[in-house]
Parts: sequence; C-alpha cells; structure tokens
Amino acid sequence: MSYKVTEEGNISTVYLDGEIDMDVTEKAKEVIMPLIEAKKEVHLNLKEVQYMDSSGISVLIESHQKATELGTKVILKEISKSVLKVIMMAKLEQILNLD
Amino acid sequence: MSQSQINNLDEKRDFEVNSSNLKHVRSFCREVFEKLNINQELKDELVLAIAEAAQNIVKHAYKNEETEDKMEIKISVSDGYLEIGFFDKGRPVEKDKIRHRKIDDIKPGGLGTFFIQQIMDAVVFKEGEKPWINHLILSKNLNS
Repeated sequence: MSYKVTEEGNISTVYLDGEIDMDVTEKAKEVIMPLIEAKKEVHLNLKEVQYMDSSGISVLIESHQKATELGTKVILKEISKSVLKVIMMAKLEQILNLD
Repeated sequence: MSQSQINNLDEKRDFEVNSSNLKHVRSFCREVFEKLNINQELKDELVLAIAEAAQNIVKHAYKNEETEDKMEIKISVSDGYLEIGFFDKGRPVEKDKIRHRKIDDIKPGGLGTFFIQQIMDAVVFKEGEKPWINHLILSKNLNS
C-alpha cells in the first residue's frame, strides 16, 4: 500500500493505493488517525485500492467512529468496485459516508 | 482444451505464518483460479474468503506471534465442486468460540468469519492429522 495526502483548507484527502490487508492496517491508521485527531474533514480516495479485506474495513469503521466522536467526518471518495463490494457485503453502505 | 475449461485441479502450497505473507496467499489463489471457468466476481470473492481464513490462522491460531511454522493451503476442484483445505500447527481451534459479530453491531473487527460464511457453502473445522493441529475446510459448489 502506498499513499499521498493533500490539504485544502480543513479538508485532508488521503489517496490510498494498492491492497489493504492486515499487514498494512497499522500504516493506514498512522496516516489517517492524526488527521482526524487534528479535527480535519478526511476524504479517503479509494480509486486505486484494488483489494480490501476485513482488516481494511475495520480501519474504515474505526476512522468513521473516531471522526464522529470528535465532531468531524470521514468521506469515502471514488470507491473502487472491489472495495465497494466488500463494504456492501459488510452492510456498511448506510453507515459510512460514501460519495 | 483451453485453461478456462479446466474444472478439475489439485494444488497446494506452504506459506510462512505471518501477515506479510497474506499477499502471497492471494497471489497463489489468483493463479489457481485463473485456470477455472468461473467469473471474475466469484474469483475475487473466493480470494477474499481464503485470505480471511489465512488471516485468522495468523491472528488466532498464532496470536500474531513470530513463528517458523508454515501453514498449508490446498485447493481442489472436482467436477465443479471446490474444496479448500487449511492446515496449521497453531493453537487448537475452539470451535464453540468461533462466531462473527452481529452484523448490525458496528465496530471494528469480527467481519472475517462473516465474509467467509457469506461466500462459501460450508465451513468445517476438523482436528488435523499429524503433524497438523488444525484442519479447516471451506467448500463451494461452483456449478450452482
């Protein structure tokens, strides 16, 4: 997994790339969580994520819950077909903020 | 006969038990499923189910601890009936404690087993024959 972060005002956009599994979830959290803790609105661009498993879904849930707790939000952008399928399998399409 | 028409196969591979090897598990599965006459969506689902089961071995049978042990994954297809065997030497699986979280209880974790059950027709835990401790079998009828 690789990533890139861009900033525009109070919005931080994290572009994730590659496959998100148990092996990279800590790295993903290290990128995303400090932005949420800084009360940024975080946009996760998932266009280039070709694979995500339950560990990756856990990062999305944790990020969403942390953001809600701190009064900000995480929005999932340009979700790839394969990631959307896993989100729907987990019945999270009504819970997470999908754009 | 082209590769896509193969409906019987038997392939196995060993993997070191750690999270950095999960990508190799996925590569192996993709390589095997390319030989089958099934659609891409089903291939992706099967790769997810297998990767989740392998992840459970790393997380639960070995508690993420470093080990030199290997797990074996065996993929067999006979007359369109798929069976995937997982063999490991970790802690014995306590079958009664295996359950996915309630799907409407939104919290991180506990989804891997749910995905496996959604994708596969049957999930069976057996005591492994020596030298194995655990033997998990996932199966699915590819004809249906």
